[in-house]
Amino acid sequence: MLELTVNGKQVRKPAKTHMRLLDFLREELYLTGTKEGCGEGECGTCSVRVNGELIKSCLMPAVKAQGADVVTIEGLAKDGKLHPVQQAFIHAGASQCGFCIPGMVMAAADTLEKNPHASPEELREGISGNICRCTGYRKIFEAMDLAAEIMTGRCDSATLDIPQEAPPSYIGTSVPRVDAKSKVTGALKYAADMTLPNMLHVKVLRSPFAHARIKSIDTSLAEAMEGVEAVLTYKDVPGEDGFGVFVLDQPSFAREKVRFVGETVAAVAAETEIIAREALAKIKVEYEPLPALFDPEEAMAEGAPVLHNDYPKNLSRHVKIRKGDVAEAMARAEIIVEGVYGTQVIEHAYLEPEAGIAYLEPDDTLTIVSPSQNITHHRHDLAKILNRPINKIRCIMSPVGGGFGGKEDQTVQPIIALAVLKTGRPAKYVFTREESFIVSAKRHPFRIRYRTGMTKDGRIIASECRIIADTGAYAQSGPGVMVKAAVLSNGPYQIDNVWVDSISAYTNNTPSGAMRGFGATQMHFATETQMDRCAERVGMDPLAFRRLNCLRDGDETHTGQALPSVSLLRTIEGAAKAAGWEEHVPGSRHGRTTAADRVEVKGS
Amino acid sequence: MKKRGVGVACNWYGIARTATIDRAGAWAELDDGGTGKVAVGVTEIGEGILTVLCQIAAEELGIRPEDITLSDNDTARAPEAAHAGATRQTYMCGNAVALACRDARKRLDKVLAAHWEVEADEIEARAGRIWPRSKPEQAMSMAEAVHLCKSRGVVPVGSGSFTAHGTPLDPDTGRADVWQTYVFGTQIAEVEVDTGTGEVQVLKLTAAHDLGRTINPQGVEGQIEGGVVMGLGYALMEEFVLDQGVTRTPGFSKYILPTSLDIPEIESVIIEDPDPNSPLHAKGIGEPSMLATAPAIINAIYDAVGVRITQLPASPERVLEALREKEARERAAAAER
Repeated sequence: MLELTVNGKQVRKPAKTHMRLLDFLREELYLTGTKEGCGEGECGTCSVRVNGELIKSCLMPAVKAQGADVVTIEGLAKDGKLHPVQQAFIHAGASQCGFCIPGMVMAAADTLEKNPHASPEELREGISGNICRCTGYRKIFEAMDLAAEIMTGRCDSATLDIPQEAPPSYIGTSVPRVDAKSKVTGALKYAADMTLPNMLHVKVLRSPFAHARIKSIDTSLAEAMEGVEAVLTYKDVPGEDGFGVFVLDQPSFAREKVRFVGETVAAVAAETEIIAREALAKIKVEYEPLPALFDPEEAMAEGAPVLHNDYPKNLSRHVKIRKGDVAEAMARAEIIVEGVYGTQVIEHAYLEPEAGIAYLEPDDTLTIVSPSQNITHHRHDLAKILNRPINKIRCIMSPVGGGFGGKEDQTVQPIIALAVLKTGRPAKYVFTREESFIVSAKRHPFRIRYRTGMTKDGRIIASECRIIADTGAYAQSGPGVMVKAAVLSNGPYQIDNVWVDSISAYTNNTPSGAMRGFGATQMHFATETQMDRCAERVGMDPLAFRRLNCLRDGDETHTGQALPSVSLLRTIEGAAKAAGWEEHVPGSRHGRTTAADRVEVKGS
Repeated sequence: MKKRGVGVACNWYGIARTATIDRAGAWAELDDGGTGKVAVGVTEIGEGILTVLCQIAAEELGIRPEDITLSDNDTARAPEAAHAGATRQTYMCGNAVALACRDARKRLDKVLAAHWEVEADEIEARAGRIWPRSKPEQAMSMAEAVHLCKSRGVVPVGSGSFTAHGTPLDPDTGRADVWQTYVFGTQIAEVEVDTGTGEVQVLKLTAAHDLGRTINPQGVEGQIEGGVVMGLGYALMEEFVLDQGVTRTPGFSKYILPTSLDIPEIESVIIEDPDPNSPLHAKGIGEPSMLATAPAIINAIYDAVGVRITQLPASPERVLEALREKEARERAAAAER
């Protein structure tokens, strides 16, 4: 029996032996403001106070809290009045997706209560164990500075009150975020915070192989376990099993083959998560490993194993841009700059792991609640997969604890949908952080080759760009990524002759998909580094080089689209003025400006 | 030794879906008490669109943002608005909501025009008050106006559908009008490189972005700051490592993200080049905010220490290796002389 004080109230409840303090708070007390972002003490979303000390509740066994005084985000407001840190977070606009915010507010409040006179560096240090993926931290710093002013009495808390007077227009006004209070108090319910009566918990058995044939799946031992309601495999899919954004090449459950480490092979729906996990261990899958591909260029080579029968060359998408005559222009170019660039695989790292809860409504509508960035498209795909009229599927978008494109492609949705259809009971599935890393789509890694032809006074007359991307085992948003990469390659510059090949290949790596910038992020790194090199080669200041070549009102893009208004020059001048840009040629002053020099100059 | 440098990069981006037609729908109703109900099929992923939609609806309906009730994002209870991505929320959903609200106001204004014996186009409303321009003394609260409208048998409801036009790429040449509106930006990074460790600290990032028309300045800054820091992680530290298809970075202890200790000063410079093709003239900022960050940082590293990083991320190991190679090259060149 666990006896402790939580938010000033005596609590006496049995705690299961496996429970962490985080589980006890969330599952026994329904205090879901404390979030699980990683389960390994790295992200800080589960921060609470125990006996006056800030701790990560995912690392503390519940039994260790025996007799302790625990404060969670729900207990931070006093007598109906928000804590100054909470008020300051609202005022500064310091929350975005909000998933990190309860933990962040706890860490900020702890830091400031212990030392309201802390220096800016100490304040930053105080929240350095808490990750935020949305805000860039600046507004959080602002909020902490503001809270410090209030807590030291240097500033009246009335400054944080929301002005009642209507502005001349609501457009162009920093209206406080309408969801800010629900985020700083932990009141907002994300999918993992929701529970339904009679709900089952789902866990998934994933492929340990990058490429293998499935010879057999034996689920009998798992099915016989007490507390297991259903085991699901590809055999349980009633419709055409394929999802994706542009091509429907990914099955909800692997059928015949697995194509990446982490692919869904089977799922268990059970009374508890622990039973579900135990049942996974009893599923026997026989695999026959197949030769695997981990490099997009090798994947497209002659004789490479074929990953998808519909794509015999493993070529997922090839986008071309042909404008003018690049060969002729390169021949008359006075300077040609070549560059090769590589970008890495990136994880979205939203703080909220994928999650979902699904149930049947009285009229037989199947409802799926999840942090989906694309409920419209998911409903289309699910109608096919489940072989169900589309209006008997209802997708609800729960508050998204960070997306950045990573929640556009489906993850938990078909699995919980099938679990509900097989059992008739509500089902919930929450990814672990590791699952989120292994299963969800990544930012495509690109290999980019540029050749830029110029006149000797710095005018770009030809540009050639070859892109090869690894889209991984399934295309997901990849085909669209290759289009955007192609269209925005070669930058916002007026170039008469442009040649682009934007190619993605299937491999047995984790699927790549949509991520903020959608192919343009990779291309901008390469293009703008190439522009810096070009400026250096012709001995020009990089801003002057861009002014010379940039698109102007009425110019045509590389795809031949005329743009009536181009604001690029205005942004160049705006940035140059704000940053105090000093003209220079790249590479001309290495080592000139050391920190020590700067300090001396400033002091003299 | 620590050395400083500056670098610049520009960006461009298209708003809403690429090389295709894009669409979003919304419903609106002026409700009892002078409040507003708005339904639109997709919304918040953290970027602040709920607030932006409340501002737009309040402005168009003539009430206050706090008077707006937004529906849940639900395929069974709200009109389609497609997806939350492609920097399309303010542009697509925002304009759909504006059109729906204008439609609802048209129903209300028709009834009030008859009541006041004025033309409907001279009725104005703001922050919960509504009046005819020629008879401002007859102003009433929006609650009274809605009540009056309903007492004449009319529920002031409206709907809106907004379209953005893009054409598919010609398969051979790529020719297309890809988006109907574009944004541009320029970022300047100032960095400090530790030549002993290879560590790069970004000191300041200046970000100038065209976004058409600002709806919520604080929200715009938040998007820019978040994008810049995501770009900083892309440039300097983040890498999902795969070895024969197995990840070696399966969690936050191995996958390194920017924390509060890595954050530069960020100055946002907002440029407004209004979009002529939409009722609100706003464009977007979500994705473009991060595009120029990594190359600006990489170019600043080159300015500081003369090494060109061409494979991301510019981790301390990679910068240090590049510095050593550069030293070796310089020594070899000196020996030849």
